[in-house]
Amino acid sequence: MSDFPGTSWFERYVTRVNADPEMGVIGEWLSTTFTLTFGDARHAFVVDKGRIVSVIASPRFDVRAPFGFRAPVEVWRKFLSPNPPPLFHDFFAMLMRVPEFVIEGDSLIAMQNARALHRMMNIMRETGAPHA
Amino acid sequence: MPDFEPIVGRYITVDIGGEKHRLFVEEAGKGIPLVCLHTAGNDSRQFRHVMNDKSVTDRFRVVAFDMPYHGRSTPPDKWWLKKPRLTTKLYLETIRAVWKALGLDRPVVMGCSMGGAIVLKVAADHQNEIRGIVGLESSAYAPGRYNDFLHHPAIHGGELCASYTYGLNSPDSPEQNRRENWWYYSQSGPGVYQGDVHFYSNDWDAREDIKTIDTTRCKVALLTGEFDYSCTPEMTEQVAATIAGARYTLMKRMGHFPMIENYPDFRPYLLDALDHVAT
Repeated sequence: MSDFPGTSWFERYVTRVNADPEMGVIGEWLSTTFTLTFGDARHAFVVDKGRIVSVIASPRFDVRAPFGFRAPVEVWRKFLSPNPPPLFHDFFAMLMRVPEFVIEGDSLIAMQNARALHRMMNIMRETGAPHA
Repeated sequence: MPDFEPIVGRYITVDIGGEKHRLFVEEAGKGIPLVCLHTAGNDSRQFRHVMNDKSVTDRFRVVAFDMPYHGRSTPPDKWWLKKPRLTTKLYLETIRAVWKALGLDRPVVMGCSMGGAIVLKVAADHQNEIRGIVGLESSAYAPGRYNDFLHHPAIHGGELCASYTYGLNSPDSPEQNRRENWWYYSQSGPGVYQGDVHFYSNDWDAREDIKTIDTTRCKVALLTGEFDYSCTPEMTEQVAATIAGARYTLMKRMGHFPMIENYPDFRPYLLDALDHVAT
């Protein structure tokens, strides 16, 4: 199973999200669990009022996650690169133009939280490339 | 003396398709009329940098207006009994109504995104009455942007529309400017952005019309940002390849909203395009 983007990247990402001033303003309504799947490796992000309280690797069926995003590692690698190519620079861009980038589950819940979720995805990019 | 910008805004009532519409129009400068058309769900504030640029306003009378339902323009009477749904026909009638009401003689018409689309139709249908068009992020056919969540009772429309369009900026454009455009998007009324996208992605198809544009009568300059994924550079290249004599320039490291997301970098492209169409 792929270890991309790796434990240290997840730690840096969680730290950034939880310290992000904008999430402090807009995150209050974002309490849910969503998954990010990097190739064949699935991770659940448990979010409470805009703060990530845990990241669960390979979540079992008792972890309820209403929605998530899945893509091959190569797609995520482009998204997280310092200078992503056009179409890979934003998660809405990938949803429209990169067929391998897929939203899973209840997209209504995702889009109800579009602003905070978009910020969290942009913080992924600001966290930088894995193993950097 | 207060340090006012040179932009002056006023209201005008025009007849569009048999209905009276009170529209907001702002302008700056003197010279060749330059009509500016904002993007879907937005308003004329997107052109504030163009209207504050002396290099433009010394040569051009820059006129930007808010479409009905948008910005400071009032929706038509009985708006609560109809969905805002822009069509190619209605959009063209709106532009013509403003142009005629203001008495603009042989204007240059510039638009971005859905505005960049409709200028192609303006050129096709009225090429003897205009100097030329500047198409920003212009496509003749652009399916794929419409979706039901853009106007949905369980979703904050302003936040979704603003977030949905935020990634259309280049990641290199200054954050302050990208966020300003986000704010404008967040202010559109319920269903207005979706109604515009209905035009852009469902109704619009000018692939045959653009074959009739004669660039010896009406100049065509097309500018598209490298990071635009709504109207990709390839989509504008197809337009340029269809119109003999059209001039197409790729704007490196630019997104879908050049006039508002990064005016300093857009400016040389704009001045060059205006030189081309106004001569």
